[in-house]
Amino acid sequence: MLTEVLEDSSLHLEAHSSLPVIHIGMATCGLASGAKALHELILKEVASRNLAVKVVPTGCIGMCHNEPLVDITMPGKNRVSYRNVKPNTLTQILDAHFNKNEFAKKYAVCQIVIPGAEAFVGLPLMQEIPFFKGQVKIVSKRCGMIDPLSIDDYIAMDGYEALKKVLSSMTPEQVIDEVTKSGLRGRGGGGFPTGVKWNLTRKSPGPEKYVVCNADEGDPGAFMDRSVLEGDPHSVIEGMILASFAVGHAKKGYIYCRAEYPLAIKRLQKAINDARERNFLGNNILGSDLSFDLEIKEGAGAYVCGEETALLASLMGERGMPWPKPPFPAQKGVWGKPSVINNVETLANIGHIILGGGDWYASYGSEKTKGTKTFALTGSIKNTGLIEVPAGTPLREIVFSIGGGMVEKKIPFKAAQLGGPSGGCIPTSGLDTPVDFENVVSAGAIMGSGGIVIMDEAACIVDTAKFFLKFTQDESCGECTPCRVGSKIMLDILTRITEGKGQEGDLDELVRLSMYIKSNSLCGLGGAAPNPVLSTIRYFRDEYEAHIRDKRCPGTVCNDLIKYVVIEEDCTTCGLCEPVCPSGSVTWEKGEVAHIDLTTCIRCKACVDACKFRAII
Amino acid sequence: MSQTKHIEVDQDFIENLCDEFGNREGTVVQILQRIQEKYGYVPADALDMIGEYLEIPKSKMYGVLTFYSQFYREPRGKYVLKICVGTACHVRGAGLLVDKVKEELKIEPGENTEDMLFTLEPVSCLGSCALAPMAMVTDTAYGKLSPDKMLGLIKDLESEHLSASEPA
Repeated sequence: MLTEVLEDSSLHLEAHSSLPVIHIGMATCGLASGAKALHELILKEVASRNLAVKVVPTGCIGMCHNEPLVDITMPGKNRVSYRNVKPNTLTQILDAHFNKNEFAKKYAVCQIVIPGAEAFVGLPLMQEIPFFKGQVKIVSKRCGMIDPLSIDDYIAMDGYEALKKVLSSMTPEQVIDEVTKSGLRGRGGGGFPTGVKWNLTRKSPGPEKYVVCNADEGDPGAFMDRSVLEGDPHSVIEGMILASFAVGHAKKGYIYCRAEYPLAIKRLQKAINDARERNFLGNNILGSDLSFDLEIKEGAGAYVCGEETALLASLMGERGMPWPKPPFPAQKGVWGKPSVINNVETLANIGHIILGGGDWYASYGSEKTKGTKTFALTGSIKNTGLIEVPAGTPLREIVFSIGGGMVEKKIPFKAAQLGGPSGGCIPTSGLDTPVDFENVVSAGAIMGSGGIVIMDEAACIVDTAKFFLKFTQDESCGECTPCRVGSKIMLDILTRITEGKGQEGDLDELVRLSMYIKSNSLCGLGGAAPNPVLSTIRYFRDEYEAHIRDKRCPGTVCNDLIKYVVIEEDCTTCGLCEPVCPSGSVTWEKGEVAHIDLTTCIRCKACVDACKFRAII
Repeated sequence: MSQTKHIEVDQDFIENLCDEFGNREGTVVQILQRIQEKYGYVPADALDMIGEYLEIPKSKMYGVLTFYSQFYREPRGKYVLKICVGTACHVRGAGLLVDKVKEELKIEPGENTEDMLFTLEPVSCLGSCALAPMAMVTDTAYGKLSPDKMLGLIKDLESEHLSASEPA
């Protein structure tokens, strides 16, 4: 499937280039892995070797665990992708391509097909390696392939073609019909049908309307929108222009982006400037009667601003407090005018839907969730990164095929946390859940915006629930009492449980409070805040009870419940725990079981974390 | 926590800012962001000046200022150690990084070191979860950290500061 999607748009980029191209992944994940220094080194090497090449920084292709990534495309040959490139491997890679006319097998991950180009023998195609095999890239198609700073790269991969098509041959109603037919639903987590939203805004009276892009991706453990904004910013801009056309020639659009994404904001601003220069934005776009311009509004650090009415308040310079709906933003939004608010991924899908057709998009996915969904796959899993799969792909496939299974072979899977602070945990028994809006809800979590955090047996479920409650409690705007006070009481109970002071009846009280907070909170933040607690009590009641009754933390995370005792049967006498102890309390002799002196132990947990066999409890 | 002297606010700067944004609706957040960009925090004096110039009640300015976690009312260190404590980083030991900084620099979250070189700021997700645990210092991201690497980073920043302050 991936082959089809990739070849269909074809990588005209390299096909047009007679020069060799060196791509380097320079999204935040690449940069955090040293891509900046590597980029400088590449430029230096290129100069000293006197090579005629193009060096192109790209966004994120999704294999964050393999960053920094460097791709080399020689004219007439497929593009070769290299992982974890270090200064010394770089020289070997360049030698292979430029001196020996081959590739450096030792460091290559895969080759990316370029139509009409020659393939390398002995190197799997991108779509053949496990990480990409089950993926279908639509919205993330260009991420990692193009230079996000180049509008020409975007145009070379069908960029702004949808806009041209719409302006030359479609009516706003036809655009809305096509989006409705595609079945696209809000990718920020709400799942509201995009076509319906657009139609509501279109039907709202008044000549002045606004388009707003929600780029306030606040769920911890989620970075899908960041990847799209950093890797393919024009796709979001094009989606917004199409939305403006469809809802009735909105003249102005805002992108509300969180301040924690400085690189995304920089790239987005450059893209907006370039689009203005080519008249994709501004007055009379491409000679039509559509005039539309964009402004970035930078957030100031408030999770609740991901909620659409809070976002609007913040956009208008106020405290980011939500308001009760109705009125919906489609009726009364920015400056009291009808406004359509869509998430980054939703908007980035629009261009593809217009070009490929609603039916084509709807051919992917499950019965009620059409198309594809991107997920940020993180936690105790081997292949962490950004993936895009057809909606309805079983969780098992995401974790064990694409994700490559657990990072520590000896520590098995415990749960997948989906949907961040509004979501829940799915245990082993739920691994066959098809990941789409409805099925994930039945399993006790939500698909949310797409964060999937994998936890192994060494994680503590109660600690995780406490983590999310602390997060929502910190981020509660304080407007309504159930969320402000209720979440605090729940957090207090959970904290008590993790400190070994849990009491009989705590679980019943948590459930009772959860129900009350869910049904009485003003906005989605409070309404979903108890979900992480409810889902974990549903599946992991025994683990809560171990904390409350036995004063024991099965994941050995809650420090107050750790006894710092070595279990003789589990100790492999490896000695890993001995050198990490800062107080010299661990004694160990070769071939002997380690021993901890509790009179000097400072309970820092260094030995527990060092033990790969979970023999210290 | 060290008590630092507040900066003297440049009246002209504030007035220019108000002229630039003041006639447009809903720009309080942007004005505050620009002030913070210049001073590293939002001095109380600046708030008074804007309130007077634009005739916005001080309570409203203060309300906006205190609502958002990224506005600061006190001066901050040269290097703000933003340690991500999002889910993925939490699962992979972000707490140990925070503890290490606390122990090494003798400061609590939100505090500055006496010499105003460092500020410790645990932040919610920075969006590089695949490289957890991670931190960001002046817009540069550092991935796959450990307590020891965190210590190394602090040492690197200290020597960067020293070499920058030495006369050429």
